[in-house]
Amino acid sequence: MKNAVSGVGLAPDAAMVTFPIPLFLPGSDLTSLKERKREFYDGLTRWKSEFAQTAGPAKMLAVEGASYEDALTKANSFLLTHLWGDGLPLWPATKERVDWILRGIALPRTHVLGKFPPRGGITTIETCAIALAMAGGRPEYLPVLVSAVDACLAAEGFDQLQATSGGPFPAVIVNGPIAKQIRLNSGFGLLGPDPQRPAGASIGRALRLLQQNVGGALPGVGTMAIFGAMRYTNAVFAEDQEGLPPGWQPHATHRHGFTPGTNSVSVVFASGVTNVRRRGAKKESPEEDALNGMWRMADFMRTPNLAALAGWEKGTPGIMMLPPIVARRMAELGWTQNSIREFLWENSRIPMAQMRRAGAPAWIEIDANPATRASISLDPWPICMNPDNIVLLVAGGGHPTHSYWLQAHSPTVEGRVIRVPETFEQLLAEADRDLGRGEDVHRV
Amino acid sequence: MVKLEFHDPSGTLEVTQPHAPRLASLEGKRIGFVSNEQWQAYRMLPMLKEMLEQDFPGVTVLPIDTYPQGNALIGTEETAAQVKKSGVDAVIVGNAA
Repeated sequence: MKNAVSGVGLAPDAAMVTFPIPLFLPGSDLTSLKERKREFYDGLTRWKSEFAQTAGPAKMLAVEGASYEDALTKANSFLLTHLWGDGLPLWPATKERVDWILRGIALPRTHVLGKFPPRGGITTIETCAIALAMAGGRPEYLPVLVSAVDACLAAEGFDQLQATSGGPFPAVIVNGPIAKQIRLNSGFGLLGPDPQRPAGASIGRALRLLQQNVGGALPGVGTMAIFGAMRYTNAVFAEDQEGLPPGWQPHATHRHGFTPGTNSVSVVFASGVTNVRRRGAKKESPEEDALNGMWRMADFMRTPNLAALAGWEKGTPGIMMLPPIVARRMAELGWTQNSIREFLWENSRIPMAQMRRAGAPAWIEIDANPATRASISLDPWPICMNPDNIVLLVAGGGHPTHSYWLQAHSPTVEGRVIRVPETFEQLLAEADRDLGRGEDVHRV
Repeated sequence: MVKLEFHDPSGTLEVTQPHAPRLASLEGKRIGFVSNEQWQAYRMLPMLKEMLEQDFPGVTVLPIDTYPQGNALIGTEETAAQVKKSGVDAVIVGNAA
């Protein structure tokens, strides 16, 4: 609630009377409402705001220790006790570290990207650099982070996505040569940690720190995400463009119309991750293997994911990732990106009888979008308006056994071009010096 | 001693509009509800309405459904304009998450 008012320009200390969740359960005892009625009356008559902070540059904070290690420990404790940490070690955002990170972008540090909802913290280039510094990032990561933040701030309903109990997290898909240049993973283990391709962890962690520290998405206070999966680093990864079969479009081209080769981000808000064992186990022909796998993927998608209603018309029900070896084999068998999306859309439709059994129509009936409400007449009910809503990616390790489904709560899919400074090549050379000369040298 | 200085990571807040002035008293005033209609609002808000009517002579508490309800509608400019146009002295926002 505090986040809701500060995000629209009011002081964050609104007159509030808050009650614990049990009071809101069916059949609950409402006695405490009567006992606390005076608080409502006072809120309307006597309450005064005591908030006095105004906008300006970020404050500098300080700790002292007997040694550098002691000071570093104290800085980490300070950040945690002020609710600015995530439980993992942080680099304090010293002036030197933030200035170093800021070399990664041509925009001035004071450039305002917007207010980060729901709390409404003013988000500048410097704010992003501070988060990236804390998350262990490097200058060449900053253009990707800034574009991802810009896309998030523009996303429809981002204030609600930040706070909702379903706990959606940004999945940032990167297209273009920048992915390899900054060591962003598109292959084996792309959603997890990788010392050879560390960019996604730092960028995603920085984005999460911004969501929490600037946007106010503090668990149980500013975000009611009941489970909060994938919230250490979100999901920041690249599409495997080299793995695209001939004639297939990069995601950014299909979804956003960006020319192939453009550096870009595309942000989907995902609410879950599911592995799909796609490959057959006996003596299937190539055609049977492909078709069985497609059915299995559709079976996973055929669920009444009611959070996805928010994106039924314009957003997406989720991201389906095919490993490059699978995409190539399916293309050889005549499958196209369109025919895959159409198959998955057609065969993930849910019979209305099953929808009724699960109480799903009630959620469709109260949806704010008229197109979504009208979908209740469709039987079987499609999980999104059109096949093109489904985000289909070629990504993951070169292994055919699994595909991966990230179901979504994504009213829109926002794309942004990534702008790099003229000195970017120099930054990449410095990264080579610090981390080795690129992933191919270090491939295990 | 080693001093370690670092940036505050929380971003600054900008207060661009004051909260509404408080009322001197609730007696004789018109009060409305803006509700997201979640989690027992249908039980709790009528109870609050009844308590206000009992405790303050001459108070007028508008029906719970006077304004648009639900998460998608209560934060819109249209709802705010409707509240303003209705001439209430105060509103209580019921926002269960």
